[in-house]
Amino acid sequence: MNTSAKTSVSTPAAAPLIQRLLEEYAGFARTLGPADGATARRRAAIAAIAQTGLPSTREENWRYANLRPLERQRFTPPGAASTAAAPTLPANLAEFARYVFIDGLLSAGASAALDASRAKLTLHDEAAGESGGIGAGLATGDGEAAQSQRFALLNDAFATGGLAIRVPAGTTPVRLELLFLASAEAATGTSYPRLQISLDPGASLVLIERHLSAAAAASFVASAVNVELGREAILEHYRLQDLNGRCILFDTLSAQLAQEAQYRLHAIGSGALSSRSTVVVRLAGERAQLTLAVAALGERTQVQDTFARVEHAAPRARTVETFRGIAADRSRVAFNGKVVVGNGAAGTDSQQSLRGLLAGPEAEIDVRPQLEIYTDDVRCSHGATAGKLDDNMLFYLLSRGLSQETAQRLLKWAFLEDVVAQIALPALRRQIEERLAAGLRDDALRELL
Amino acid sequence: MSTTSTTGTPPLLSIEDLQARVEGKEILKGVTLTVAAGEVHAIMGPNGSGKSTLAHVLAGRPGYTVTAGSVRYQGRDLLALAPEERAREGVFLGFQYPVEIPGVNNVYLLKAALNAARKQRGLPEVDAFDFLSLVREKMKLMRMDESLLSRGVNEGFSGGERKRNEVLQMLVLEPKLAILDETDSGLDIDALKVVAGGVNSLRSPQRSCVLVTHYQRLLEYVVPDFVHVLVRGRIARSGDRTLARELEQRGYDFIAGEAA
Repeated sequence: MNTSAKTSVSTPAAAPLIQRLLEEYAGFARTLGPADGATARRRAAIAAIAQTGLPSTREENWRYANLRPLERQRFTPPGAASTAAAPTLPANLAEFARYVFIDGLLSAGASAALDASRAKLTLHDEAAGESGGIGAGLATGDGEAAQSQRFALLNDAFATGGLAIRVPAGTTPVRLELLFLASAEAATGTSYPRLQISLDPGASLVLIERHLSAAAAASFVASAVNVELGREAILEHYRLQDLNGRCILFDTLSAQLAQEAQYRLHAIGSGALSSRSTVVVRLAGERAQLTLAVAALGERTQVQDTFARVEHAAPRARTVETFRGIAADRSRVAFNGKVVVGNGAAGTDSQQSLRGLLAGPEAEIDVRPQLEIYTDDVRCSHGATAGKLDDNMLFYLLSRGLSQETAQRLLKWAFLEDVVAQIALPALRRQIEERLAAGLRDDALRELL
Repeated sequence: MSTTSTTGTPPLLSIEDLQARVEGKEILKGVTLTVAAGEVHAIMGPNGSGKSTLAHVLAGRPGYTVTAGSVRYQGRDLLALAPEERAREGVFLGFQYPVEIPGVNNVYLLKAALNAARKQRGLPEVDAFDFLSLVREKMKLMRMDESLLSRGVNEGFSGGERKRNEVLQMLVLEPKLAILDETDSGLDIDALKVVAGGVNSLRSPQRSCVLVTHYQRLLEYVVPDFVHVLVRGRIARSGDRTLARELEQRGYDFIAGEAA
């Protein structure tokens, strides 16, 4: 099935939005002046947006994301953030360098710097005249991969800062934590976190990427992350999305793995009013390995939507994909996991385990494994379930004297365990467990941690 | 005697003409049974006679609908209590097929269950140190490996380990009324002795036990005060432990014939 129905600029609903976007961009570009180091990138991106438009809910692949706020928000970055209210940041983790960004721009004074001898870090402030900019590494053309990354084009066009990190080969992994704080109201401007990660052959990085709110503002965030892993490089990547309940997030991550590279991507999303995460990974080298573990918690009217497209383009690469999502109240939680095995990818090994838990009468869960296989000699397995809490488990806990509420929370907790247990950093795992326990509103659980 | 009260205090458990259906099917057709404090009763009977249904009705399993009769526990209407309230009041069901709950830590469940019962009795939460030494002591009695504590509830446990875990929970919770649903099934002789030892260690003048079993083998080790034979949803015969031996020799058919 072709899910990438083309959107044309001329469709009546999209036209005014794109028109306004183009006008806003023109004004924004004038403010940048000749010092801007990313002019070519911006122009290419805005031309692509003009041509393809932004996604609409009529597209199969975008039916959960909340696209309505697009009509009200300002696309231009909000500029210097007001640092009036310093937010409470998560506790520092030992041995991790930390950088804090507010609305996509580096915030001085809130960071512990990385040892320059360990990795090359480039902090970009393109508007101030630094050249080069950060490549987005987006797929081009009108295929599904490119279509799914259209929100990254916004980031390409408007982002004025960001971070590029290049890690050379080394025996001990570099440890880095990035905090992206959203503070501006959507009507004031959009927050554009932007990140380029390159690992040289044999390099190793542990990266924690957090998306948080610095204020109670209803922020609009369009983040773009690009990952390039060289031969035998290892990236352990933790993405934690905990924006406040009024924010809108469109996140795009694209990654490319060379031969025998290993990418362990753990994403845990519990925040925002509406969050759409698009993950596009290409296993380009032989025996590359991807572990993708995603947990999503929805409550109230939240939307947690993930689209993961994994392309096996080389022989004997391996993907292990796990999704656990809980939809409570009237929330909607969706995971669409697509694995494409190209005709040169003999010996592919792909496993998908996708499970959704419906925890509210008006909640919605959608888990979809999709396989497209263009070669023989592959091992692809997938399991997908969506359902309610297991009655037998529930009764067992009740029969031991636990209250209905505690029993249900405990089972929800257990449900997420398949993803949480994969977090290899004990201190981080504890932070996440505490957050999830709070998300499940359970003091009893917190006590047990 | 089990049927009369000598002191004026009500029996621990008093079941009168209990009728219940599961999935629209009448299973219990009038069970009457009285269990006084300190007694051990064995409920035997052929497959499908309603033994497990009786156990689950007493524990309050959803989907098991009581259509007539009454159950009084410590003088109160047991059927009016939710399953978790029954547990906190000291009713314990040992499951025939204990469910596996990956991700819910065994020791956490034990602690949460114990604290729920203590809260009901107006006691403070158990001290962490006391709790662990209590659990260790009971695990030793059940000859269980301590590594099982940190696993998910019954996660990857063998059939025998699951049954021992049920008895371990019972020993930690010290219920007033323990209902063990075929806790002996699937156990080899060594495991059976361990399980029986666990049950016996809990016997006291205050506690009662209802053993649901298909075979009299367990009753060699846990000697019951009374044996009842359930046939087609009714108690067809009651007696002392010699009834169990008779059943072993003659099979259930002779009673089924009498009851028909």
